[in-house]
Amino acid sequence: MVAAGQTGVADMSRTGTTVPLGHQSDGELVQEFMDHWVALSGDAWLALGGVDDVRRALAEAVSAMVSERGHAPRRVIAWATDELAPLDLPGLLASLGCECVWWTDHPGGADVAGDHQDSPPGGPADEPATPGAALSRRRNLAAASDLGITTCAWAVADTGTIALYATPSTGRLPSLLPTAHVALVRPSQIVRSVPDGLRVMANHGAQLGGLPSAVNLVSGPSRSADIEGDVAVGVHGPRRAGVVIGEW
Amino acid sequence: MPGVLPPAGATWPERRRRALGDPTMRAAVAKSTRSLAEKKAAAYASYPPGEAMRAPAVAARRSALAHTDALLEEFTRQVEAHGGHVTRAAGPVDVGRYVLGIARRRGAQRVVKSKSMATEEVALNEQLEAAGLHVRETDLGEYIIQLAGERPAHILVPASHKTRQQIRALFDDEAERSKVTPPTGDATPELTAFARRQLREEFLGADIGITGGNFLIAETGTLVLITNEGNGRMTTSLPPVHIAVVGIDKVVATWDDLAGLLQQPPMSGTGQLLSTYTSFITGPRRSGELDGPEEFHVVLLDNGRHELLGTEYEDILTCIRCGACLNACPVFRTIGGQAYGSMYSGPIGVVLTPLLGGLDHAPELPKSACAMCYACRDACPMEIELPRHILALRRTEIDNSMEPTTMRLTFELWGRFWANPAGYRLTARLVRLGQWAFMQNGRLTRAPGLVGGWTATRDAPPVAKETFHEWWQRARPGSRT
Repeated sequence: MVAAGQTGVADMSRTGTTVPLGHQSDGELVQEFMDHWVALSGDAWLALGGVDDVRRALAEAVSAMVSERGHAPRRVIAWATDELAPLDLPGLLASLGCECVWWTDHPGGADVAGDHQDSPPGGPADEPATPGAALSRRRNLAAASDLGITTCAWAVADTGTIALYATPSTGRLPSLLPTAHVALVRPSQIVRSVPDGLRVMANHGAQLGGLPSAVNLVSGPSRSADIEGDVAVGVHGPRRAGVVIGEW
Repeated sequence: MPGVLPPAGATWPERRRRALGDPTMRAAVAKSTRSLAEKKAAAYASYPPGEAMRAPAVAARRSALAHTDALLEEFTRQVEAHGGHVTRAAGPVDVGRYVLGIARRRGAQRVVKSKSMATEEVALNEQLEAAGLHVRETDLGEYIIQLAGERPAHILVPASHKTRQQIRALFDDEAERSKVTPPTGDATPELTAFARRQLREEFLGADIGITGGNFLIAETGTLVLITNEGNGRMTTSLPPVHIAVVGIDKVVATWDDLAGLLQQPPMSGTGQLLSTYTSFITGPRRSGELDGPEEFHVVLLDNGRHELLGTEYEDILTCIRCGACLNACPVFRTIGGQAYGSMYSGPIGVVLTPLLGGLDHAPELPKSACAMCYACRDACPMEIELPRHILALRRTEIDNSMEPTTMRLTFELWGRFWANPAGYRLTARLVRLGQWAFMQNGRLTRAPGLVGGWTATRDAPPVAKETFHEWWQRARPGSRT
């Protein structure tokens, strides 16, 4: 596992290439994706040693990214996708003193910790009576979270970009409202260019009978240069954006 | 039907004088335009595929113009198939009526907006506020401009003419109005943190989100939004209603067309290979989804665009609003955006303002706000013939006899005299005889009659004691000049 924060770009470039990777070209794509993501003020962790390595990298990412806020317990909201099930997020996060909330009831029947924790102020307890109440409850949970954990559909090496599809279990808000966002990226998901990524998306669309209601391409943390051209990070979206690259 | 644009507010000489007399603004504009122009050049130099994709992108935009109506029909069918709504708006009144209709039906009070030139064009904020709605711009630059009660001065960086001290003062006032803690200082993170806190509340409490759109993809009915701050994602994810107001010129046929186009606005605008956030919206929230809008509306805005199809100005409709022509333009760099009196400033504004709003809307722009240096033509990623259009607009304006007769006569007289060497030399001799009366510190600072218009705002060197021709004749008697 190799970690690369905003301060370790040069080190990452050297050590990253020494990690054995199946295809040389795949290795190049991983490296370039990481380089570009870090250049955009993102954080990156490389974990190509299987599920345990990914869990170790994720733990490091969580520790690094939720440390900015001092209150306890820290809350992490995660996409309720089967893809994340093997990582045992509730266990991992509990060991770090974090509470794990799923975006929606986990399809795999895993622990739905958040649903039995405190409700947002003014919201209904436990099972909300109306769909509207369920919606605002999820929204408030996301807004009150320190970190959102998601996977991605594909990623682009040239631009340091990840693609997030909105579906019932993979909502728009966990990657948007929390202070920080970490996405898990598989090396096999990284393509060369934006047009390559759009072709992957067209294939997904053909398989799924249409495009998702929303696809968001994310290239690093939220930024603006509206004040005297001075780049500010974390305007509306996450202040910190991380990727953990690995197979699990 | 030509469109309708908001009035300029002040006359061109007033706007120009105000701009030239504001050194703070001019320094800020000079700095930001230079920086953006350099970033664009660096982006294309560092990423050759960006340049390779540009030609197909231009072709895709131009071919879409040949089939605009069919593409809009296909786009509409696709959006409706996904449960969204599409409406056509001829101009400002239609847009206002449609949005207010939705607001009334839903009992909506609070509107958040993501930066959109189309809504500026139809003065949507003013229309909604007049109906009692609370409207909040959420792009950091637009928020600053809204608090200042101004119009955007640049397509892309609307508050680039403001200093951090001015921005802090605006935020302090806003903090006092809304009884919240003001920013802790005028450092960028402190100012940004204040805006983030204030606007987060607005997002969470909003009934309607309004955005523009960078592209529309006909084959799937998808709206493409390019943003950096995340306010576009907030606006399209949190409020129960999302309304996109988009010019009819933004439609492209296919995703293949989009593939080459998508990186051109960020590369040409800010020098980013891709913007931080690019959103593809295809219809409202689907069954089972816990976020995203219940209602999704696209307002296809004409406002004078359709009339340009098939004319010599057609390529202006391929503009991607990147702002590269503004950053390259010596006039914009000198006077900034406010002086143009239009939400479209710089070379694109000089052409688009009279074309959309009618020639009598901004007759001064083509003739006064261009030095014919062609820098905009070189800067435009869509290869729009901006200087040619500016010349054509000047010609049309003269043909329409909108020029004062006296000025036309002056130019005719001048043309007759200076069309041959004898006339030219005669003028030089005459001016030399009389110029002593109009000189100050060795320069011509005043002039009689119609020429006084020239010297009202500039001076000129006097005619030399001996002209080049006279010297040549003296030094080489008998030789031809």
